Amino acid sequence: MNRSTTVLMKIEESATVLSLLKSDLLPMEAVLSEFNSKLQSSSHLAVCNSLSMMLQEQKMLCGTERLIAFGIIYKCYSSQKPSFNPFLSEMISAACNEQLEKSERAFLLHLLQWNNYNNVKEILKQSAVDYIRSFDPSTHDFPELGELQREYGDKADPGPSSHIFADYSLKKLLHDPDVPRGCDPDSPEFDVQPGGNPRIGSGDRDEALSGLLENSTMAGLAPRWIRPCPPRYSVHQSELLWIDPDNKHELVWDDKMCADTSRGATVRDLLVKGLKMTLSPSEQEDITTELTNDPKLVYHCGITARKLPQLVEHNPQIAVEILTKLNNNKEILDEFLAALVNMDMSLHSMEVVNRLTTAVELPKEFIRSYITNCISSCENAKQQDKYMQNRLVRLVCVFLQSLIRNNIINVKDLFIEVQAFCIEFSRVREAAGLFRLLKTLE
Amino acid sequence: MDSRDPSSAVASDAARDASLLSEDAAVLSVTSTLAKSALSCFQSGKFEDCIDILIQLDQKQHNDPKVLHNMAIAEYFKGGCSKSKKLLEELNCVKKQSEELASAAREQVEAVNPGTNVSVSKDQFDSTVTTLNIAVTWFHMHQFTKSSSILEPLFQNIGRLNETIALQICFLLLDIALACHDAVKFSAVFDYMDKAFGVGFGSHEENGSTMQLSSNQGSKTSSLLSSSVVADTVAESSLCEETLDYDNVLAAEYDAEKRMKSVGHIPANNLLKTLSERSFSTADLKLELQLYKVRFLLLTRNLKLAKREVKHAMNIAQKRDSSMALLLKSQLEYAHGNHQKAMKLLVVSGIHKEAGTSGIFNNNLGCIYYQLGKYEASSQLFSKALRSCSSLRNEKPVKTFSLSQNKSLLITYNMGLLYLARGEPLLAAQCFQKASVVFCRQPLIWLRLAECCMMALQNGLLDRSEIRVNVVGKGKYRKLMIEENGHLELDGSTQCGKLSLPLARACLSNGIYLLNESLLNESKSDRESTLSVGMNETKEASSADHGEANTNSDLKEAKGGLNQDIMQSSLSAFKDIQSREKLLIKQALLANMAYVELELENPIKALAAANSLLQLPDCSKIYVFLGHLYAAEALCLLNRPVEAGAHLSAYLVGQDDFKLPYEQEDFDQWRMHTSSECEETLDSSTGNARDSVFLKPEEARGALFADLAALLATQGHHDQAKAMITHALTLLPNNVQATVTAVYIDMMLGRSQDALTRLKQCTRVSFVPGRLEVRAS
Repeated sequence: MNRSTTVLMKIEESATVLSLLKSDLLPMEAVLSEFNSKLQSSSHLAVCNSLSMMLQEQKMLCGTERLIAFGIIYKCYSSQKPSFNPFLSEMISAACNEQLEKSERAFLLHLLQWNNYNNVKEILKQSAVDYIRSFDPSTHDFPELGELQREYGDKADPGPSSHIFADYSLKKLLHDPDVPRGCDPDSPEFDVQPGGNPRIGSGDRDEALSGLLENSTMAGLAPRWIRPCPPRYSVHQSELLWIDPDNKHELVWDDKMCADTSRGATVRDLLVKGLKMTLSPSEQEDITTELTNDPKLVYHCGITARKLPQLVEHNPQIAVEILTKLNNNKEILDEFLAALVNMDMSLHSMEVVNRLTTAVELPKEFIRSYITNCISSCENAKQQDKYMQNRLVRLVCVFLQSLIRNNIINVKDLFIEVQAFCIEFSRVREAAGLFRLLKTLE
Repeated sequence: MDSRDPSSAVASDAARDASLLSEDAAVLSVTSTLAKSALSCFQSGKFEDCIDILIQLDQKQHNDPKVLHNMAIAEYFKGGCSKSKKLLEELNCVKKQSEELASAAREQVEAVNPGTNVSVSKDQFDSTVTTLNIAVTWFHMHQFTKSSSILEPLFQNIGRLNETIALQICFLLLDIALACHDAVKFSAVFDYMDKAFGVGFGSHEENGSTMQLSSNQGSKTSSLLSSSVVADTVAESSLCEETLDYDNVLAAEYDAEKRMKSVGHIPANNLLKTLSERSFSTADLKLELQLYKVRFLLLTRNLKLAKREVKHAMNIAQKRDSSMALLLKSQLEYAHGNHQKAMKLLVVSGIHKEAGTSGIFNNNLGCIYYQLGKYEASSQLFSKALRSCSSLRNEKPVKTFSLSQNKSLLITYNMGLLYLARGEPLLAAQCFQKASVVFCRQPLIWLRLAECCMMALQNGLLDRSEIRVNVVGKGKYRKLMIEENGHLELDGSTQCGKLSLPLARACLSNGIYLLNESLLNESKSDRESTLSVGMNETKEASSADHGEANTNSDLKEAKGGLNQDIMQSSLSAFKDIQSREKLLIKQALLANMAYVELELENPIKALAAANSLLQLPDCSKIYVFLGHLYAAEALCLLNRPVEAGAHLSAYLVGQDDFKLPYEQEDFDQWRMHTSSECEETLDSSTGNARDSVFLKPEEARGALFADLAALLATQGHHDQAKAMITHALTLLPNNVQATVTAVYIDMMLGRSQDALTRLKQCTRVSFVPGRLEVRAS
């Protein structure tokens, strides 16, 4: 049940209801139709709720009022099946309550239309006073509670509440008679006497009735769950922000604007030439000086990994220069080295690698794959003429010896591969020499 | 040809250009002359003139992106650095244009026979500077992730850039990483800087020798040196005083000022000075890197090493500006919980004398006072800090030639925490909402906002903590009517601003989403490290057992390890701390979520949140308790009393007794959570202890009794329920819910007289008269 929609009756409504309850001389039918005309159906639930609470207290309402109250509850839901009446269970338990007047219980059974109690219409034509007066208890038999519950119980609507706390909520009043100690609160002496002065402990029943009508809310008293609010997440001292002044990050003026871009142009032109032919020593020197002067020039000199093989073939010296300059940029260097591994094996490429090994520290992976590539190039050269192959083998052997002597490679890493190479090409003098070198290192 | 001293560590393109210009003045083209005078106008702050020249240049060199770029920058400064959005638009435009031109040029080169004499300079269409400026602008707008993602491609290719630009990029990245608490990123950038610009510091032997050197110099009383000596002595001497008032501190500061009078104060952080002097001295760089190293160690809470490194920084700084080093020293002491010492050092750092940094001074002092539990003073300091920030904004930033250091959003966050601590959820929420511009990616701020909502709920509806009994009728007919006190919806726009439970729910789900995202990223980055430069070591370090890593760091420390090892070990330790903190935040988020869903009467969602909470590994016992309680209540509301009972009986000892769901130590531990690595544990009687009020273990036990009683009562076991509720009320006398349940049970047992007595004895019952008076009138 949505607790936030607690419905309270309006003051005028409660006055109307109170006066209707007192209309015990009018035919009940007329009282009920007046109820319908004066109260909107939206407030029916609230009225029934208050009435049902007062009905639970036997002394709050007198006999005729109780009949009218039940009549109102009946009337509110008479257009629907009895099982839709949320107050059905209260009506049933009242009908079976032995402490209540038999006339009232019979009245309820009529309202419930139980078995042969079927002349509601007739009864409602009487006034409440008349009904009680004409009631003959001997003609009636009363069912057991269980019997009625079986009849209606399984049809009963669970009501507006939906969970166990609300289901079991209790709509009950607590007696708190405010009378002097030792007095019997039930004594009529405490009722307000018309015209008399009010005395301590006296109370007006009507006042209480209208108070109850006005103040009762939909919800009853239910067991309450303790739901502790989670603790506030504690503030770690690092959450409180200690501030350090940071650097003044300024917007930067682009000073390359309209700057002379001819610098480096010479180098670029020379390098373009260098892809085609060997450059003269003075040209080579120019390039070397420029590259040394501007360490960043190497990135803008127009040589890419794709162009590197051409440069290696024609100007290995310059290629070494460029690769050395790239040394502190691992990513680009890797790109260039990959190009070196993938190009065709040649004296110049080996020269470049050999020189590089002495100038900078090359990645082990690169050297390894380069050597593997060298060896497989020699093997693949078989298809071509033998002279070329022998020449290549000789070159590789010299290259490897140089690497081993300079401690660039660890022989153990490549031992089997190199040994197999030496045996395969044992006819070549240098291969035999390399083999001997391997043996001495073993 | 330039003739530069190869020994100078950092090259300056500008200097080279200048030398070129002076040598070959005659050959200079008209455009170059114009460009040069535009620059000099710009540097001297004559932006109008500068723009005029740039317009001339634009007419000569139509649509040259570099001209347009500089024009945008000059316009921005001319407009008082206020139109950041416009600047970004223009810069992005320029960037796009230069990229298009560059690719067009490349195609042209490819197409043309390489033999021909077409040489396209990449410089001409290089958009590095533009990109950097875009990042700088985002940085000043506190959009750190954006700034960082823009810089990332530049950083990947940083080797190709000239060193001035490279340094600027690196420093910006470092500041971004610090702002985002991203230690991984920081260490990647720092590693690179250490390698590329590192000036050979970091080895322990060298540290020793420097210290030796400086102590020798001590006799030579260089003025700056003496200033920092004075600073130190002031700090030490004032520590003896027990008093801790702001006034006293200021007095000490004036004292120090008198002694330092002869020393011209050098502004903090003078590394990246104005553009005209765009070269770094090796020593500047060395100090700056050392300071950043300390900041990294402070970020990763490696206080031990930070202490050592800050000393080293002080030694380097003695010859120059030591304010930053002193500030870091102060922060170190603050992190240690030595608040007095931190305060003295903060004052000695002298940053409050600068208009630009006085806000920072007040903020930091406010932090210290907060930790001391002096919220009033703290609040005044934060407000003062905010005021000086806003006055800084109103000053002409053009004059200072820099974007102002606007830290107001950070200070606002602190202010929010303070208001929360003082129980003012509305003001706190306003602060957090403002600060969320910067922190919206952090789960914690969402938790804080949700806490504001919940606090507003608790503060705003005090009647909820009472039992309302309607008194109807008089005398003989007096009746008492107990209401299930239906609480008012919190939408009350008048009372609670925009705070509401639905807002709390939205905040919490934001927080949970962000946290899960970051946990996911974390596990991803553990598998594959995302940063390319120098991150190979990180992989090893992060995969290594953290405990081991810690001991390693100790060992290395003793031997004098390399920078990188230090960084890596504190990085992995910090990752550990961070993931622990994330787990704690997750517990808090889920517990709050379950609570809020219950308040909003969504038992299904509440149950889901409570169950996720209970499934978390290493969950704090307090949150486990809350998880059980929330789950049980949600199950009751879903008409599943048996399962609800199972949650409660987890704490059952025997048939009818409960054990303590958690111990006091659990609570202390949780409260102190990550401060365990502090050498000196904080005094729990100050600061933090006041922050959170929660059920004591005995009270929690009482809640279990009361809730089981409520559950039993609904099941019709009224006698058992009666026993339980009696226990509950001895542990939680005067508890509203327990009293209501007890009254209910009494009435169900037909003992309405007991119920009446109970109500009359409970002090938290208000007897509300009926509306008779109204009617009578």
